[in-house]
Amino acid sequence: MNSFLTAFFAGTSQGAIYALVSLGLVLVWRGAGVVNFAQMGQAMFTTYIASQLIQNEYSYWSAFVIALISGALLGALVDLGIMRPLSSRKNSLLLNSQSMRTTIPVIASLGILGVLKALAGIFWAGEERGFPAPVPTTGLRLGNTDLAITGFDLFVIGVVFLTLVLTTIFFTRTGMGLAMRASALNPEVTRLSGIRVGSVRTLSWAISGTASSLAGLLVTPKTNLSPNTLDLLLIVGFTAAVVGGLTSLAGSVLGGFILGYVIAFVNVYSAPENVFLAILIFLLLALFLRPQGILGSKEVRRV
Amino acid sequence: MNLRKPLILTVVASALVGSLVMNSFSATAASVPGVSSTEIVLGMQLPQTGPASPGYNKIDDAARAYFDYVNSKGGVNGRSIKLVVKDDEYKAGRTITTARELINNDKIFAFFGSVGTQTHLSVVKDINRRGIPDLFVNSGYSGFYTDPKKYPNTFGGLGTYTVEAKILGKYLKEKYPDKKIGILWQSDDFGRNALAGLTASGLKFEARKTSASFVAGTQGSIGLGTQIGQMKANGVEIVIIAAVSSATAVAYATAAALAYKPTKWAVISVGADSTTFQTILGARGTAPATSAALLAGTISASHAPAAGDADDEYIKAFKKINDDFNKATGSGKVWDNNVFQGMNLAYLATAALLGAGKDLTRAKLVSYLKNNGSKLSSAAFSPLGYSNTTHEAFTGFWLGEYDASLVLKPIGGTRVVYTTDSANGPVTVSNYKRPAIAADALPRVG
Amino acid sequence: MSKVKSHKVIGFRSTRLAIIFFLFILLLSMQFGPYNQFQLANISTLLIAVLSITLLTGASGQISLGQGAIMAVGGYSAALLVTRLEISMWLAFVLAIFISALFGLFLGLAAARLSGPYLAGTTLVMALAIPSIAIRFDSFFSGDIGFSVDYGYPPDWLTNLLGEISIEEWSLYVALPFAALSLFAVLNLSNTRSGRTWRAVRDNEVAASLAGINIARTKVIVFVCSSALAGLAGAIYGFRGLVAPSVYPTDLSLLLLTAAVIGGLRSIGGAIFGTFVIVFLPDVIEKITKFLELPETISIYLPALMIGLLLLITVILNPRGSAGALEHIRHRHKH
Repeated sequence: MNSFLTAFFAGTSQGAIYALVSLGLVLVWRGAGVVNFAQMGQAMFTTYIASQLIQNEYSYWSAFVIALISGALLGALVDLGIMRPLSSRKNSLLLNSQSMRTTIPVIASLGILGVLKALAGIFWAGEERGFPAPVPTTGLRLGNTDLAITGFDLFVIGVVFLTLVLTTIFFTRTGMGLAMRASALNPEVTRLSGIRVGSVRTLSWAISGTASSLAGLLVTPKTNLSPNTLDLLLIVGFTAAVVGGLTSLAGSVLGGFILGYVIAFVNVYSAPENVFLAILIFLLLALFLRPQGILGSKEVRRV
Repeated sequence: MNLRKPLILTVVASALVGSLVMNSFSATAASVPGVSSTEIVLGMQLPQTGPASPGYNKIDDAARAYFDYVNSKGGVNGRSIKLVVKDDEYKAGRTITTARELINNDKIFAFFGSVGTQTHLSVVKDINRRGIPDLFVNSGYSGFYTDPKKYPNTFGGLGTYTVEAKILGKYLKEKYPDKKIGILWQSDDFGRNALAGLTASGLKFEARKTSASFVAGTQGSIGLGTQIGQMKANGVEIVIIAAVSSATAVAYATAAALAYKPTKWAVISVGADSTTFQTILGARGTAPATSAALLAGTISASHAPAAGDADDEYIKAFKKINDDFNKATGSGKVWDNNVFQGMNLAYLATAALLGAGKDLTRAKLVSYLKNNGSKLSSAAFSPLGYSNTTHEAFTGFWLGEYDASLVLKPIGGTRVVYTTDSANGPVTVSNYKRPAIAADALPRVG
Repeated sequence: MSKVKSHKVIGFRSTRLAIIFFLFILLLSMQFGPYNQFQLANISTLLIAVLSITLLTGASGQISLGQGAIMAVGGYSAALLVTRLEISMWLAFVLAIFISALFGLFLGLAAARLSGPYLAGTTLVMALAIPSIAIRFDSFFSGDIGFSVDYGYPPDWLTNLLGEISIEEWSLYVALPFAALSLFAVLNLSNTRSGRTWRAVRDNEVAASLAGINIARTKVIVFVCSSALAGLAGAIYGFRGLVAPSVYPTDLSLLLLTAAVIGGLRSIGGAIFGTFVIVFLPDVIEKITKFLELPETISIYLPALMIGLLLLITVILNPRGSAGALEHIRHRHKH
């Protein structure tokens, strides 16, 4: 198999993970107008919970489900405990200014990230540990050629698309989902029309928490788990989300795969040392050439 | 900005009060810093938290366990050894500050066992400028040791990456002249030094074909799958890994996933800790037997007995001390290469302090190591290089293969220690004989 | 009050405040042992970087998570000038200011179109990418080995004047004048007409542009000024011992932001307070953990935990930071 196919398959399987991270970011951005820099901290924390349960002889799938539930709870907790009190202060002096209204939640999410990492260190010590995959991680074969893709990779891709479909249905077909879209576009009008904006926001935090928890569970079998291993994913996921337009669910998934390919091809045809630089250049290009994102509509966003 | 007069007065007044409070913390200086009639204070800097901490964060507890053991036996010349540890998070900016804290507040006598090349680079010049002994740095970067005029007080605590790579490279080149040899290295000073040493031994690597790097600390999150896939695609038959143990485990798992089975794996000792390897793969759901089968047959090098060599007299003694004296909890105490390394360096430091004599000064310790350091011994099968011309620690390595129980066993059954320098010198066989450990597991000098 | 007059008054006030800061730190240092003297040097150095955030975020509402990367630009500029061209450290520091300002110009041109979370994310990616350039082009930037640079020895005239000067004191004497000058510059900037222009843009871009302010140009100028400060801080920070990627990690950027937030993003007094907090917090925590005899498994994570909590508590209880809290209290006293 040649280098091109190697990069293609690696890009596909990594891209699926980035897509999930990116999806989580977009969910909160749409639902609550916050880019959540603590997202992968939440994912790390819930993956540790799963890891702890597995160590205590729980089955993989029960640990998996509990991790997803704790992801949702953690997301809701972040909203109720921190983000909501923040937004209720919108009339305070500092938050009067336009730009500070988006800045303060970012700072809060960085604080949450720091706290989660420190707590994980205290609870589970700083050593790297492995994390199991739910399906075999052996490579697939097509006839006599080994494909550089595993059953687990296919599983991850499947999960990503399932998540995309479910969230899309939720947002376009259910009353709650429609309310969430409305509240993101115009909270005031939504409030006047009798929808409880607060619970809609909390719900989007919970859904995003679940999605990022899922990302944590699915990426750690390929890397390792430590308080810091998921940091990079946030940066890649953010870039993917921006490439996808930050508001579009499908765009974020597409952005994730694009980033997967960019990184894989830089790894293969250039050098890994160039990856960070490539991400930065790609991000800047995306911001300037197509600020509305690949699938975003023009008027949705002002960068 | 609204500083008004009363505020300014408050600030200045609080400064005065604060300074009085802070002052009460600084102690009076002794004639030799860090040495009293009852105590010797050593300082260690290492990452206890942060991305670089896994594994290395066990070294301080292990070393302290050995010192506590020494203290329980009456200490060194009647003085007990106290080890003060600072977490620098592997951030050089922080290392500079914690070094000053150790020097000025903890009044250490000497630095001991500092972990990390980049972090130690930020303080090595300052430590030497102040004339503080800088014992047994846990870094294989030869730049610290090969020019004693530059850093007269700094002594190594590992064999250099270059020496090990030269020895491994020579072996592979002679044993597998017709095979395609490739390397997977983490792109930092360690990986680069290893690459340089292997190249010096005559091996040739071609970027994107037989040489693949990855960004240290990123493990699988932005690649590694790609790199392994590339090795496979290019038909590399022998893969050398220069990476930390956790990344080695990920590399093996990735190769297994891609059904890539090179004829031979060779892992530079930094990344060949079999305990870490098996723990990580174990938590991934790989059965111990399966992970053992993955690592079995892998070539690696060591200056000391394998940590898993339960029959070795030093290992036996150190393990017992670790069980009795290590105060770390949970996995921090589990016996592995890092714990062994921490203990062995503490053993060596005890020997050096003994040798420097009852009338301990910084200059005496440094001059003792320079003149007599090569006569000291430890658990290592390799001689120590300390002399007037180099401050490298272990100048020799023996080559082994992992057996099914994940113990590194000498290739061919008998252990041959090869030795060389960190420059262009030839690789020769060493005739060093390791002295037996004393019954009380304390070093003897003179 | 006429414009001319207000400028004069402001110039006088900022001079006075910068001098008070200078004397205050100097006074403190005389009471301190060498370690805390060095911590004061750290405060002086990092204060310059925190001021660069106060200027950027507080005056214009833009958030940067990449100040550490700009510090790296300054540090590498100075280190390269000193090691390759063998010019004096002082000249190198000054040139580093200009090089970083130039970098800030490009950054500003790129960032002028971004706001809020977009800018935060982009600067975070930058914080990661910029230091990796040193590794990518390692023959020029000497990879992760970096450059061993330091402040050298104090000049003879100073030792003749003050007697023997320790390494720690010398660090302080190098950093403190720059800190006082930066303080002076920022105080002046934020109180002049351009400072008011920046705040107008921060508070309401639409209104500001209706008032005839060129928003993009204003943002670029803020970036240039902020980067110049960050670059200077980076040069002084690097010359503590090493200029290398590991000296300017992403966490440094976040730590600086924490200082600015804790103190109050809009307050220069707050920036000073925040810098004191981040520099002395690890020491205070160490004393507390020793006193409480906490196990190492907990105590080593406490500094990071406290930084995170302080950040959260600040934004939840009083987003304007301690400076805001102080003002609040003073306000109540009057009534």
